[in-house]
Amino acid sequence: MKEPFHLEKTEKEIILLEKLNELSELHFNACEAYSKMIKKSEQEIIAKSIIDVPFLPVQLFKSMELKSIPDEEVVKVLTSSGTSGQTVSKIYLDKNTAISQTKALVSLMKPVLGEKRLPMIILDTKSVLKNRKSFSARGAGIIGFSNFGRKHFYALNDDMTLDYDGLKKFMDEFGHQKILMFGFTFMIWKYVFKKLKEQRIKLDFNNAILIHGGGWKKLSDEAIDSLSFNQQIKEQLGISEIHNYYGMVEQVGSIFIECKEGYLHSPSYADVIIRDPISFENVRNGVLGLIQVVSELPRSYPGHSLLTEDLGTIIGEDNCKCGWKGKYFTVLGRIPKAEIRGCSDTFQEGE
Amino acid sequence: MNIFWPKNELTFEENIDVLSKQSINEPFAQETLEFIKALSKRFLTQKKKPEIVALGYWLRKSNIVAMKQHFYEGNTGILIKPRGTTFHIAPSNVDTIFVYSWLLSMLAGNRNVIRVSSKAAKNNLLKIILEELKCNEKIGSQTIICTYPHDGKATELISNKCHTRVVWGGNQTVNVIRSIPLSPLANELVFANRFSIAVLNSKIIEQLDNESFENLIDRFYNDSYWFNQMACSSPRLVIWVGEKSVEFWNRIELKVKQKQFEFDGATQVTKLATSLMLANDQDVKKIDSKPIFSRIELLSMNEKLRESHCGNGIFYEYETNSLNSVTHLISDADQTLTYYGFNEEELQKFAKNIESRGIDRIVPVGQALDFNSVWDGQEFLTSFTRKVVIK
Repeated sequence: MKEPFHLEKTEKEIILLEKLNELSELHFNACEAYSKMIKKSEQEIIAKSIIDVPFLPVQLFKSMELKSIPDEEVVKVLTSSGTSGQTVSKIYLDKNTAISQTKALVSLMKPVLGEKRLPMIILDTKSVLKNRKSFSARGAGIIGFSNFGRKHFYALNDDMTLDYDGLKKFMDEFGHQKILMFGFTFMIWKYVFKKLKEQRIKLDFNNAILIHGGGWKKLSDEAIDSLSFNQQIKEQLGISEIHNYYGMVEQVGSIFIECKEGYLHSPSYADVIIRDPISFENVRNGVLGLIQVVSELPRSYPGHSLLTEDLGTIIGEDNCKCGWKGKYFTVLGRIPKAEIRGCSDTFQEGE
Repeated sequence: MNIFWPKNELTFEENIDVLSKQSINEPFAQETLEFIKALSKRFLTQKKKPEIVALGYWLRKSNIVAMKQHFYEGNTGILIKPRGTTFHIAPSNVDTIFVYSWLLSMLAGNRNVIRVSSKAAKNNLLKIILEELKCNEKIGSQTIICTYPHDGKATELISNKCHTRVVWGGNQTVNVIRSIPLSPLANELVFANRFSIAVLNSKIIEQLDNESFENLIDRFYNDSYWFNQMACSSPRLVIWVGEKSVEFWNRIELKVKQKQFEFDGATQVTKLATSLMLANDQDVKKIDSKPIFSRIELLSMNEKLRESHCGNGIFYEYETNSLNSVTHLISDADQTLTYYGFNEEELQKFAKNIESRGIDRIVPVGQALDFNSVWDGQEFLTSFTRKVVIK
């Protein structure tokens, strides 16, 4: 896989468009449900520009089984997180898509982590990895990022308490060198940061690079944004290099990583488009709207062009101060759910 | 348990006991009429809430008088008495509906226990009602308004004490409430999920002058967009007798823009997702998903399509040569048929020829959301009273 942040706009668009068109055609021929959706809505399968590539709302993966491979080629089924009782997305991967996902992640992390595998602390419990064939988003994330580390240490016990002894032992051994920390934003906040703060324990992970993702939904309830998160984590854990990432289980390979300027970047094999939430028209840079993600990786299911339910803004393209090329953007969070009116069920309300 | 009315120190059980001992009224009693008059006056001032104004208008004197006349017609010489206590379970989202069923039961002379949704506490409607209850001692003593979680024992308790139970809500609510035993002498009215249809005569519509066309568009807009197409009676399927009219949809599009209808992002995404998902239904021929509405061209109609509809401006469309050749499309759950361009005879014939349980209301386009004291095929005042035979 090529360098992820080197392609400039004109070149990237040509290459990516060709791949996306090829994928639309592939899924059109291999996935009956996809072909019906395109055909009956009379959309062009071959687009003239990236914004014209047909897109599917991500929630379709919750209500439908969408795949472009026969059952026997499925090697992994990814499921979205989502609280109990909610329906989850199901994403079917074959061997090739799974491999290209891993490769993409490797190329993507190289600019951040360098070539060498680092001693790694996972700010989660080992028990999320129990079922090897069906992964939750958390499990898939951990497995994916584990490739960048060695001597993996899971910092949370099964009851979500911090394993201080283990952590101390790990730091005695590796604390003098560069280490990698990985976890989910909310888990880190709730089970690591808050616990340490309560107990007034300050740690010194001066040599660590923290990678975290998974969304800000729960944290925005506590009015914590990316900036205050970074500040407080630095204060309590002593970590100075923190990279948030944005991605979703529904689109493999679309991992958008935060640069040192604090912006998420789209790599060469994926892109973001912002659309007006009402008309779905493409909007100018700087305007807040619904995030559409496109990626050249999903071959086993029609997820190469997806309309998310997240709101974001493109800040610019190819000219971020950090030096990485491509569009750079920020994510505000999930689009607010409207209160539905109608004679529908009195039972839906949770009182 | 949160008791909005009455405001006292008693427990819920004690309040139910006190209520049960209150005397009932005669149908259309003077005190009831006064209470309704006062309420109507207050509702009519709620200009920002058209559904509350509509409720106030429905409660106007002439309408109540007409209802009273109709009630006693054909019942001369028969003694009609209220049943006793009516238990109303209101839906969470159409805020005004519980008021209709409560007031009809009150007009019949009953005591009333109303379980509103927890959200009701936030709106002006309940506030006005509580203020008016304070001013009418008799009606106040015959009323309990409360909210409580559905898993509680309260539904069981009231069901055991009441003489009529009214369940608004969807199929799920109806099924759950029906599993809770009702006092052996009680009767029950349930309002389950329904689906509604508009039938338009395209030949007549295409010949309309500008003014009449606009008038039709205005009324269709109100029927469809007022409750985000989520009311049971909002049209979701449009049957065209003749070819579907391009002009009609162009005008609807303009109307929605002109009215500055407020869409929100989350429902727009759901609308698009639902429309695309429908592509996999065998009866769907074509999808035209626009921001303002999504038109789904059908080859036929089925239950899955009825269930998948998510409101917010999705219109199923079906073309036919004559009204009579679509009676087979009507299924049990179909409730309201709004029409344009048909005469009474044609509609009568159509209604008679329907073989399923479907269609309880046939009204002109523009009246889909109007409440009627006969709803889903049942007459409230009849269900809220009993006839005493004296020979």
